[in-house]
Order: sequence, then structure tokens, then C-alpha cells
Amino acid sequence: MITEPRIPDPDGFYAALLAAHEGLDGAQSADLNARLVLLLANQCGDQDVLLACIRAAAEDSPTSKAP
Amino acid sequence: MESFAFAPAYELPSWPFTPPSELGSPRTVRHPIVIVGAGPSGLTLACDLAQRGVRAVLLDEDDTVGVRGASSRGICYAQKSLEIFERLGIYERIAAKGVTWSFGRTFSGEQEVYNFNLQANSVSRQPPFINLQQFYLEWFLVERILELGLTDLRWKSRVTRVEPLGDGVRIDIETPAGRYTIEADRLIDATGANSPIRTQLGIDAHSSRSTDRWCISDVRFKKPLPVERWTWVDAPFNEGRGVWQHLMADGVWRIDYQMPEDCDTATISQPEVAGARLREQLGPDVEFEFVWIGPYGYRDHLLDSFRHDYVFFIGDAAHVVSPFGARGGNSGIQDAANLGWKLALIAQGQAGDALLDSYDAERQPAARQNLEVTSRSARFLAPRSPAEHTLRRAVVALAARHPFARALVNTGRMSVANDYPSAPQLPEGGRTVQNLPLRWADGRETTLMQLLAEGTRCIGLWLAPTRAEAEAALAATAPLPFHLLAIGGDSGLPALQADDRLTSHLGLREPGSFALVRPDAYRAALLAHASPDAIAAALRTALAQDTTP
Repeated sequence: MITEPRIPDPDGFYAALLAAHEGLDGAQSADLNARLVLLLANQCGDQDVLLACIRAAAEDSPTSKAP
Repeated sequence: MESFAFAPAYELPSWPFTPPSELGSPRTVRHPIVIVGAGPSGLTLACDLAQRGVRAVLLDEDDTVGVRGASSRGICYAQKSLEIFERLGIYERIAAKGVTWSFGRTFSGEQEVYNFNLQANSVSRQPPFINLQQFYLEWFLVERILELGLTDLRWKSRVTRVEPLGDGVRIDIETPAGRYTIEADRLIDATGANSPIRTQLGIDAHSSRSTDRWCISDVRFKKPLPVERWTWVDAPFNEGRGVWQHLMADGVWRIDYQMPEDCDTATISQPEVAGARLREQLGPDVEFEFVWIGPYGYRDHLLDSFRHDYVFFIGDAAHVVSPFGARGGNSGIQDAANLGWKLALIAQGQAGDALLDSYDAERQPAARQNLEVTSRSARFLAPRSPAEHTLRRAVVALAARHPFARALVNTGRMSVANDYPSAPQLPEGGRTVQNLPLRWADGRETTLMQLLAEGTRCIGLWLAPTRAEAEAALAATAPLPFHLLAIGGDSGLPALQADDRLTSHLGLREPGSFALVRPDAYRAALLAHASPDAIAAALRTALAQDTTP
């Protein structure tokens, strides 16, 4: 799993991600995120990296608990 | 409300109870092999043994085939099972009566989101699948067993108690003519999911029950539909729940509807309610008649060990998985074929008891794998939380547009001949060898199953050995149950014609390479450059004999 920065335009990416969620309710946003995860997973295509990413995503983050 | 007709019930055969000689005799007779339960796995084992010339006692509490009060349970027989039935001599009957298929489609709503063609990876004489009502399969097996004439088939004989002994098992049996007791060197429990033997011995099956509910409608109608396995993740004609559609023998379709978890099973299986579902699916103008309606839930269990001293568990007595992918019945049939040749070699004094440990070492992991695979299908079909529903919606939405997501759509992964892990008798693990069409050097045709149907022995397939090597290998393996063949070359051995499909399926490359095939058509060893000593050692390992000559 690569954790060093690789996204050429991080702010632009983040803005595009937010824009895609604009106007969606919680369920629609969840659907969008799920589709996005699956599309990105196929871009990665490496089973070990995918499993490492799932583990990393599932780790509790002490500074950003869900509201 | 529309009313619906039922077809006349199937008339199934029954066989007479014949009082055995042990009834009323003070002497307790000991039998080498006693099988309890005449379902698909018990019958396959009895037939496999009889085909090998080995006698067994087969006890069954009933006197007919099928499950009383129900229609067919299993319907899909997979290639490995069909290859076993070819060897046992009933494949032609199954193929003539059943429905051959290899293509499956999965739909979401009105749209096809996934399909597979199992024929693509097949080099076998047998097709990927044949659908057939389970009672027909059992019927053919019983008739074949009677024809072979070596099995002591005891109908209406219920096992009431088993008692493990130091060197076997004591078995109490209840019959219409009274009770009696026998002993067995080895007892094979094929009594199914609710095995009373397993319960009585206090063996934990680690069972769990699903809350998912389904209702089968077996039905006959005139609307022409393709002979394919069709599944819907979310059918518009079933309130967005799953539906299965499959053709069996006699023009009977099995249509299986997923129901709400909290449904009332008595209500959803009423003919009027089931008929309304079918009417919704088939349209207003299609006439149909019911053969059977049956609601069900499913469960799973898996024994930690399939061998407990002199008691062996096969089929549903050992493992139960959810029905998606036809991995239950097929796995039981393959349990029987795995155990049959091992019991036969022991009966014939050509192998020791250690060979029987390999039954558990091979089939328990196979069942564990089937449990994992079917549990994943079940979870895709019945998501357990809002998050799982969200993820499945994403899969289905993407699958409509993008090929990668189609691989994630899971309405069952069809039964395969499981690979076996590395174990003492299989140092490199084992994998199935399909029923390849073969040709002798003189042009006569044969198949791997025909070669394996002769006696009980391993087959060695050696790519173009030299004459001297061939003679030395025959000498080194002389006392063992072994049939050594050449592929091509001029070795003096019986020789098959070289053929790319054969050598690549076996994994043979260079001249001198060698594959060892067991009586159950699993490859036990692959030697890149075989020597006579290495061949003899591989054979002794596969037969659980001392590796020192």
C-alpha cells in the first residue's frame, strides 16, 4: 500500500469528489461512494494492496470520529 | 382468484424388506464395511465398492428413493460427479433422462449483468452439468447396485444405536421383523444432515441456520425457454428479490423464489400464492401445472474431522452448505468416490489403515472450501445490513455497464472438483484429472474413466520413457496396484497416442515426465524427470505404504 502522496492535484481531486456528492442525500452519497470504491479497487487490481487498504480504512482514527 | 392444477405424483419404486439371517440368531456377525443411509452419497459408495468387487452392507430406514413428502432435493450434477457415474456405469442413463447444460445467466431487474460458459474449460467426455431430479439418480444407483450383486441392501432397517469398540463398531438395528445387532470393521455414516449417529456419538457439527427464506415451485408449462441456468439478483416479478430458474427431467422447471425473511411459510407455499408468483413471471397466457411446492430455509454445518476411529462421515452427515452452486450433493458423491477405492484396497489387502486418514485430510478441507464459497454467495443474495445492501447495489449498477463488476455478482459459484491440500499421501497436493478422450497407439479409442474402471489401481502416465526405464519401473512397482502406461515413444509399455490436450491437462512437458493418477481420478504426483525408483516411491506415498522398498 502506497501512503506517500501520489495525487498530482490533491485539492482539485478533493473538490471534484465533493462536487460529485453535492445535492445528494445520505443514501445517495453512500451509493456513490460504494461505486467509487469498486471502480478504484479495479484500478488497483492488487489483492494484497486492496486488503491492506481495507485494514487501513477500518482502523479507528482518534481525531476524526464520525459525528 | 385463479385456481391451479397439480400433476399426478411420481410413482417411485420400492424394494422389499428381506429378514436378514442375523435376525433371531444368537451369534453377532461382523461385516467389514457397513454403510448407513441410501441417499446419493451412501448409494454412490456402495456402488463404487461393488464396481471394485467389494461387498458391503447398506442399511436404510426406508424402502424407496427420494425424500418422503418432498419432491427432488438436489437437481444439478457436476462434471466430476458425472465422471464418477460414467465409471460406475450409470452415466448414459443420467444423460438420457436429464438435461445437459453449461451456460448460466444472471439478471438484475430486466438486464443481464453476468454470464458464464462452463464448457470453455472442459476437456472431459462429460458435460459441465446435467440436471436431474435426485430420486432418479438414486433409482439408477439402486438398480446398478442390484445388477452388480455384491451389496447386501437392507431396506426398512433403522440404526437405533452405535457403540464404538476397540476394533470396530457395534450396531443395533430395528426392522419390521424385530431387532438385531451386527458389528462392523468400519461404519460409514451417510444418514444425512440430521445424522442420529453423529448426535448419539456427541460430535459437534458447528451448525448455524440462515434467516433467508425461499420457496420452490416445481412446475410444468409450455412456454419455450432456453436450457440455461438463469438467476435474478432482484427480479421485478418477485418484488425485487432473488429468483432461480432451471430445467429438470420430464419438462419440469424448478423455479425458486426468495421470500421475505419474516414470511409465513404456510401462506407463501399455498398453491394460490405460489401460482400468483408464477403468473407474474410467465405472463397471462401460459398454462402451467404444479409438480411440487416447497418452502425452505437453509443451514450449514461442518465436522472438524470426517473420521472418528472406525466411523466415517460422508455427505450431509459430514457437511451441509447453502444450496447456491450445487456444492452439497456433488460434494457427498465425491466424498464417496474418495473413500471407495481406499476401502477397496484395504479390503483387498493392498493398503493399510493409514490410507483412510487421507479421506479426512482431503475431503474435510474440500468441504471447508465449499462452505466458504457458498457462504459468500448466500451473503451476496441476502445482505445483512444497510451497508451490505449499499455495496450490492453498487456492484449491480456497475455490472450493467462495466465488465469488471460482473465478476463480483455472486448468485452461486458452481461446484468444482476441489483441489486437495498437501498432506502425507499428497506431498504436492492433488487436483482432479478430467475424463479425457484417449487413443491407444493402434488407434482404438478409450477414456481415462474406462481405464480406471478396470480393478482398483493407480495409473501412471509416462511421456516417452526408454525401454530400459520402463522395464525397471515395472520391476520396482510389481507387487503394487498399478497400471503403467506410456504416452508415445517406443518403450514396450501399453502406449497412448501423444496428444497436446492430454499432456497439457496432466502437466507433462518433457519426454520422461510422469503423472500418477489415483483411482478417483486425482493426480497424486507429477515428476518432471521420472526415474523408476521415483515412480515407485510416489506410488507408495499415494498408497500410504512404507517408502522404503
